Amino acid sequence: MKRLFWLVLLPVLAGCPEQQEPAGFAGLAGVADPEAEVPFLQPGPGDRLSFPADFGPHPQHRIEWWYLTANLETAEGDPLGLQWTQFRQAIKPRLADAVPPDSGGWPLEAAWMAHAAVSFNGQHYFAEKLARGDVGHAGANAEPPAVWLDDWQLSELSGNGTWRLQVSADNWSYDLSLQINGEPVAHGDQGFSAKSASGEGSMYFSLVDIQIEGTVTLGDRTLAVSGKGWFDREWSSQFLKTGQQGWDWFALHLESGDKLMAFQLREEGGAFRSGTWIPARGEPVALTPGQLRMTPISGPDSYPRQWQLEVPDYGVSLKVSAPAGDYRNTGLYPYWESPVAVSGSHSGVGYMELTGYGN
Amino acid sequence: MTLLAALFSHYRRHPLQLLALATMIVLATMLWTGVHHLTSQARASLDQSESAVAERQQVTRADGEPVSVRDFVALRRAGLCVMPWLEVASPGAGRIVGVDPLAAACFDRSAKDNEPWRGELDGAPFVDISEAAGLAIGQKGQKDSQGVLSLLLSGPDSGSALPSGYRIAPFTVGPDTGELGESFLLNLDALGMLVLLISALLLRSVYLLGLAQRRDSFALLHRFGVPGRQINRLLLLEIMVLALVCIVPGVWLGRWLATGLGSGFGRALEGLFDTPLYAGQDGGWLVPVATMLAVVLVACLADVLRPLARRLSVAGRGQSLLPALVLLAGIALSVWASALAWLFVAVAMVFVAAGILAPFLIARLADWRAGGEEDPLSRWRHRELSVLARRLALPLVALQFAMAMVLAVQALVTTFESTFDQWLVQRLEADYYIEVPEGADASLAVDWLSGQQELAAGLWHRVIRGQATLMNSVGESGPVVDVFALGPIGPLVTGWQLFESVGAPWQSLAEGQGLMVNEQLARRQGVTVGDTLSLKLGHKAIDFPVLAVYPDYGRPAGEILIPASALPTDFETGFQSLSISPGTLSMETVTSGLKQIWDVEQLTVRDNRAIESLASAIFDQTFLLTRAMTVLTLILAAIALLLMGWVFFSTRAWYFRLLVVWGLPRRQAATQLTRLSLSLTSAIALLALPLGVWLTWILVHRINPLAFGWSLPMAVYPRFWLELGVLSVLVGLSIAVLMRRQLNSPASAPESASALSGGER
Repeated sequence: MKRLFWLVLLPVLAGCPEQQEPAGFAGLAGVADPEAEVPFLQPGPGDRLSFPADFGPHPQHRIEWWYLTANLETAEGDPLGLQWTQFRQAIKPRLADAVPPDSGGWPLEAAWMAHAAVSFNGQHYFAEKLARGDVGHAGANAEPPAVWLDDWQLSELSGNGTWRLQVSADNWSYDLSLQINGEPVAHGDQGFSAKSASGEGSMYFSLVDIQIEGTVTLGDRTLAVSGKGWFDREWSSQFLKTGQQGWDWFALHLESGDKLMAFQLREEGGAFRSGTWIPARGEPVALTPGQLRMTPISGPDSYPRQWQLEVPDYGVSLKVSAPAGDYRNTGLYPYWESPVAVSGSHSGVGYMELTGYGN
Repeated sequence: MTLLAALFSHYRRHPLQLLALATMIVLATMLWTGVHHLTSQARASLDQSESAVAERQQVTRADGEPVSVRDFVALRRAGLCVMPWLEVASPGAGRIVGVDPLAAACFDRSAKDNEPWRGELDGAPFVDISEAAGLAIGQKGQKDSQGVLSLLLSGPDSGSALPSGYRIAPFTVGPDTGELGESFLLNLDALGMLVLLISALLLRSVYLLGLAQRRDSFALLHRFGVPGRQINRLLLLEIMVLALVCIVPGVWLGRWLATGLGSGFGRALEGLFDTPLYAGQDGGWLVPVATMLAVVLVACLADVLRPLARRLSVAGRGQSLLPALVLLAGIALSVWASALAWLFVAVAMVFVAAGILAPFLIARLADWRAGGEEDPLSRWRHRELSVLARRLALPLVALQFAMAMVLAVQALVTTFESTFDQWLVQRLEADYYIEVPEGADASLAVDWLSGQQELAAGLWHRVIRGQATLMNSVGESGPVVDVFALGPIGPLVTGWQLFESVGAPWQSLAEGQGLMVNEQLARRQGVTVGDTLSLKLGHKAIDFPVLAVYPDYGRPAGEILIPASALPTDFETGFQSLSISPGTLSMETVTSGLKQIWDVEQLTVRDNRAIESLASAIFDQTFLLTRAMTVLTLILAAIALLLMGWVFFSTRAWYFRLLVVWGLPRRQAATQLTRLSLSLTSAIALLALPLGVWLTWILVHRINPLAFGWSLPMAVYPRFWLELGVLSVLVGLSIAVLMRRQLNSPASAPESASALSGGER
């Protein structure tokens, strides 16, 4: 599960007749209108992934994102966390094969938002960019894969599965090459990832084996970095069930070579949990709510920095801890995005995202 | 409790007086809060709009072609923070600016509050750029007013370096009318201050009257052992409680008044400056409540004002020399002062002196007339007038100030209105204004226009804008002035009003015999007609005789008007445009012809008639507001005088009834009272007249030139004087009518003389 927010640009986009009232956290519980001429599509069980098309945008879905987190190390061995995300929020749905509106009319059928962050030595650097869709300065392609907003861009370096990610903020930047290994991992039911017991959900897949190299510049200091990354693609028209307050999401690289994706959506009186156990060898396994335990060790009112994650069926009992520091992304919707260290039955690293805890 | 009950029993016996005091506080608070709310909101909004459009830069194409969406995308992809700004002239909604709030997100966040395109785009005049683009597309084919796209740059530190093929240019929005707005706001400020002063005087007069009536009670309490200090403390408590109880609804009413007037006011300013000027957001309560509380306390209790108050009430006893000297010094200062601050000091001096002298003059005049009267009734009436002038000094002075202010503001507003109308007509004489696109050769247009048989001769001209350096007598560079070059010189300009000129100035200008200067330059450099100015227009200095001085409102810059033919070839042109009245030729023919010869796809064309009617409507509305506020002030002052007059006359009713007791028919006694009250109010109206005319002169001839560099013509409006005279007569008659009723009621015992703050009979 991933992050979203949408995109409440919404006050500034006032006056758009198709505008929907935001519902749930960041409007993610908005309901698709099946009566509309071209309705928003809502994913459901039985929907399948399609490659490479699903790397590109889904204009008939309300919300989607491209999301990279990376646990890197500098040449000196210091850990450095890194995030890049680009969101698309449709204001008006459009058939996938429809002709896009003329850019000369400055159409307002979709809005884009990009987030980038670097976490290093207890410091958290964050930047946000916004753009309207269909004009050209923000967009995404399936083949060759490319996602861009202004001068931030993810693009394919060559046809050998290497991507390049470039981000430049006020006083910091990064330029990375990403070697994509392995096949995409489909979460949930062959890509349909349920987000509640009543059927809300999204299409969700990940690239979990990415070798990263490059440079990160903080002020006038440029660091050579390398490490591993996790790339998510997710889209839907209604993620959250009404009443769900936020979520806690983890993507962990364990030293055993196994990987774990786990999330829970908090709601009154409990939470809906789901995840994927990705063994070093063998097929990924979707985890049912009963197979997964997620317990905040600190909290519950502020962002819980430490968690206990358990998957008893696979002998997994992990303590997940964020390093000291404030890792809130203070954009339109503040949320927590930090690298984590893993100890317990397995050791490792990963990323944690917490939303809906207030500021 | 007993002490409190004893002290406040006065208001139980005189509930009307309490009501009068409360009403006065409520009305004064309402009026001042209204004016203050409007002025402060308008000022804040003006600042906001100025910062929104001031000192911005845009990115243009180096090849002179208009920028497009493709350029926007190219610049953003290169990392440059630019925002699209699409201006569309909408037939229904005026000028609309389409912006992209998403693209604006990269603009300086610290300037957030000052950027009107942030937040909700409610169409006044900012809309989402897709909406503006829709309007522009809808207009295609109708006339050449579809959108003009600009790409605003966020600031000097706007990200990456500028890609090749682009350059940075200054970006301005609309004509520079900020000075007019400031001037108008300055007038409103002055109005607010005068309202405060008048309110204070009125409050003080009502309060002191009550205090005088309570002296016996205080003396009695003192005799019972209550220390004077304790009585003063209780009085302070009393007035504070009363003030707070009355100020709160007053502020509420004032805000209600401001909101009611503000919607029209906001539209007026907004239309004028093209950006929302009247923010309309909630102002705080603290400032109006604190200000009015301070005014009430100072007016009613402050000991420091005692000497002034005493002076106001005892000026008749021969202490007129000092005020007269202050008056003369104030007038002299107003003539010679060269700084705004000193002018305000002069205004304060003249008002204080006039306030002290007016009741004194009326009293002295009445005494003098009484001395020369044979008829005992007339002598009584004049003596009584003298007493009233002294006893009612404060409300009389308040009415005098209010009348003077109303006179001045009315004259100022009317003058401003007619002058501005005239100036607008002059400056917008041509029907259309066309910008010469960057890189286009304007002389091609001149040749083309000259060749159009249907275009009447002289109904178009080319305007070249730039700058020149003024050289002093020894050939050193002086200040930089704006250049306004025209060619050909024709009927579009020859009707301009000129302050002073040589004979046949326009012909001389057309023949290149000299130049004209605007009022600002003439004032600043001390230039008059016949002088010679040495100007560096290119590399060489050229001497030009000054042919005329012309009015130029709205901006402080010095400017010269010269024929385009007089510009040297190395003159650096800043901006060019064409002013055209197409006559029988259709505007479509003109624009398509110009597009063809300049080989461009779009032109910026402004319809001057639409601008003129909009500006006129705006000023009508704006001045309506100013008048409404001044009339309200006048009504407040008139009500105060009526109230005071009635209360004071009532205290003397016993003496008036003596006239009847002594054998005067009741009808004749009533006539005497009518003449008495009419004399009093007419005298104050007469004395307000010179003060009002002087204040008008100060505003238009002294304050405006010092603040803005230009003056307004001085005009007086005798018809309005007459209207004020009628108002003062009405107040006098109303007092007389009330007194007649008193005369007819049964006689009661006279109050002690001391109870009336002075035992004059």
